[in-house]
Amino acid sequence: MAAVAEIDSLVLEFRSRSGRVRALDGAALSVGDGQRVGLVGESGSGKSTLALALGRLLPPNAEHLEGALRVNGKSVFELDHAALRGLRRHELGYVFQDPIGTLDPTMRIGRQIEAVLAGTGKTASIASLLASVGLNDVRRIVRSFPHEMSGGMAQRVSIAIAIAPKPKLLIADEPTASLDASIRSQILDLLVSLCAAHGMALLLLSHDLRAISRYCERVAVMYGGRVIESGLTADVFGRPLHPYTEALLRAAPGQERIGGRIEPIPGLPPVLAGRIEGCSFAPRCTFAVDECRTRRPERTDHGDRSVVCLRATERADAMAGVPPA
Amino acid sequence: MSILVRYALARFASACLTLFCVALLVFAAIHAMPGSFEDVMVPQGTQAMRDVLAERLGLNKPILEQLGRWLSQVIQGNLGDSLVTQESVAAEYLRRLPATAEIAGLATVFALVVGVPFGIFSGLAGSRRLVSQFSRLGGGLAMSVPDFVVGAVLLYLFTRYSLWFTVGNWVPITENLIGNLRSALLPAFTLSLLGIGLIMATARHATIGVLGQDFITAALARGKSPAVIVRHHVLRNAGIPIITILAIYSGYLLGGTIIVENLFSVPGVGRYLITGVLNRDYPVVQAGVLLAAFFFIVLNMLADILYALLDPRIGRRRG
Ligand SMILES: Nc1ncnc2c1ncn2[C@@H]1O[C@H](COP(=O)(O)OP(=O)(O)OP(=O)(O)O)[C@@H](O)[C@H]1O
Ligand SMILES: [Mg+2]
Repeated sequence: MAAVAEIDSLVLEFRSRSGRVRALDGAALSVGDGQRVGLVGESGSGKSTLALALGRLLPPNAEHLEGALRVNGKSVFELDHAALRGLRRHELGYVFQDPIGTLDPTMRIGRQIEAVLAGTGKTASIASLLASVGLNDVRRIVRSFPHEMSGGMAQRVSIAIAIAPKPKLLIADEPTASLDASIRSQILDLLVSLCAAHGMALLLLSHDLRAISRYCERVAVMYGGRVIESGLTADVFGRPLHPYTEALLRAAPGQERIGGRIEPIPGLPPVLAGRIEGCSFAPRCTFAVDECRTRRPERTDHGDRSVVCLRATERADAMAGVPPA
Repeated sequence: MSILVRYALARFASACLTLFCVALLVFAAIHAMPGSFEDVMVPQGTQAMRDVLAERLGLNKPILEQLGRWLSQVIQGNLGDSLVTQESVAAEYLRRLPATAEIAGLATVFALVVGVPFGIFSGLAGSRRLVSQFSRLGGGLAMSVPDFVVGAVLLYLFTRYSLWFTVGNWVPITENLIGNLRSALLPAFTLSLLGIGLIMATARHATIGVLGQDFITAALARGKSPAVIVRHHVLRNAGIPIITILAIYSGYLLGGTIIVENLFSVPGVGRYLITGVLNRDYPVVQAGVLLAAFFFIVLNMLADILYALLDPRIGRRRG
């Protein structure tokens, strides 16, 4: 299957007054054509950084140190400005967390949508675009300012704007985190059905593991700036190979497999200042052995699944006989 | 709708109250100054001459009666007559308004034309670039050097080496445009310096603030070019604080024109006001200060209206 996005050992640091923060420490991820991929991990694990890197949208204090990143076969960090704008305009769509904040507060919605349509060269009418995201009161909406809309409506408008050019990949960074719980699943349903209808791939960043397992066929788990486990959602969540994945699932509220009992992961996620030798999860890991602290784990494949853990094979073998939970 | 009416009424009431307080203050201040109109007019005259003068102009009446008379005149829209010329104060000010309006207007235009682009460019460029350093240094200097210092330096320079500009020889615009510019540009430039600094700093900060907003990242993510982003998003959003600072700057201009007009001998309302003070020409001073306050209030109201036009979150309510 052709990949719309391929990320290979991406290393990325932020320079700040207090020093350097290594937000990505060799992250690797691949999103196939039309796939829906979830990206999960604790706060600070580098999800948003990875998502922004796909469109080279990082703030100026970010520095790309190593690794390749391709979208539709184009090496994003090597594009010139015009080609980069073309990529952003036609091949990527972004939906962000704060829907009202991503719209210009001084402009009516209609004008903002027009500006996007003019840039893409596609001839869709505003009305049909809004209807496709479930907004039918077109007259009122185009005349509204962002602050006059509810978060859910604004997020629908943002989605309409993101899908207008029919991108190959839609990246949604916690698109429902700021919304009322009652409309979260509506918005996610909408995203997923639009992706299916237009053959778009979806990269969905979320803390909501339940939503990920419901909407995404594949999932990637991030920790310390690396994707430490990825594969089919059913496999990864059903039989986690990486101890961090397992801990994350235990810590998640409402995971049926642990009968509602929540076990927070002790300790705090790391903030890396540079390349780390050894496993960044070792200090919090109940399976860690001495070697984990000194040898940097590399990626190993177990069937359709990739894991970054020295003891992955051991765990996979141990689990082979056990039926999935 | 009723909210709007209530708001307008409240604004009107507070404006009236402000004007009333200003009227009291200026009346008290000018009458409390040592030396009266008679002392200034007939310094060597006998007491009898002074009494006649005071009698004729009503200056011998109790001070509260004078205040009451003046206030009731003003409420009827009559600013009174100059004690010196016996002409209507309103007419005297009106005659001098064009010169003041011209230098203040030119100063505002300079301040905007220089301050907005430099401020925005330096905000866009990030802090390490040359424009930023230049505009921060220049802006800081422009704001911190007092206008009478700048004015005095310019005055010295251009009276010594008459470099096209003329000093102290005002030519009205109706007479000769070039001559008018030669006499108006220096005072206008002196007045504009503070405005350039203020507007540059404000535009810079506003731009940096806008660039950090999510909707800029979102616009970049849609493949918008920097030029389009500046035109569509940065200018509009940064315009709001710039308007606020313009209103503050206009308050400075009210005082600044007085100093600059006196330095450069511009026959405007500021110089007339100072002459009025020196002559203890009470109606002239009182009317001048009251008009300045009125002007300031009107400008602030205009700024509020512009504000609401630029920022839909303000002043507009809808269900
Ligand atoms: N602009 C920045 N300047 C400096 N450091 C940054 C910047 N953006 C992110 N970081 C740092 O990079 C690391 C990864 O951040 P990132 O936002 O990618 O995490 P995340 O997984 O998206 O977290 P969350 O779930 O809270 O959104 C964090 O340690 C963060 O502090
Ligand atoms: Mg994030």
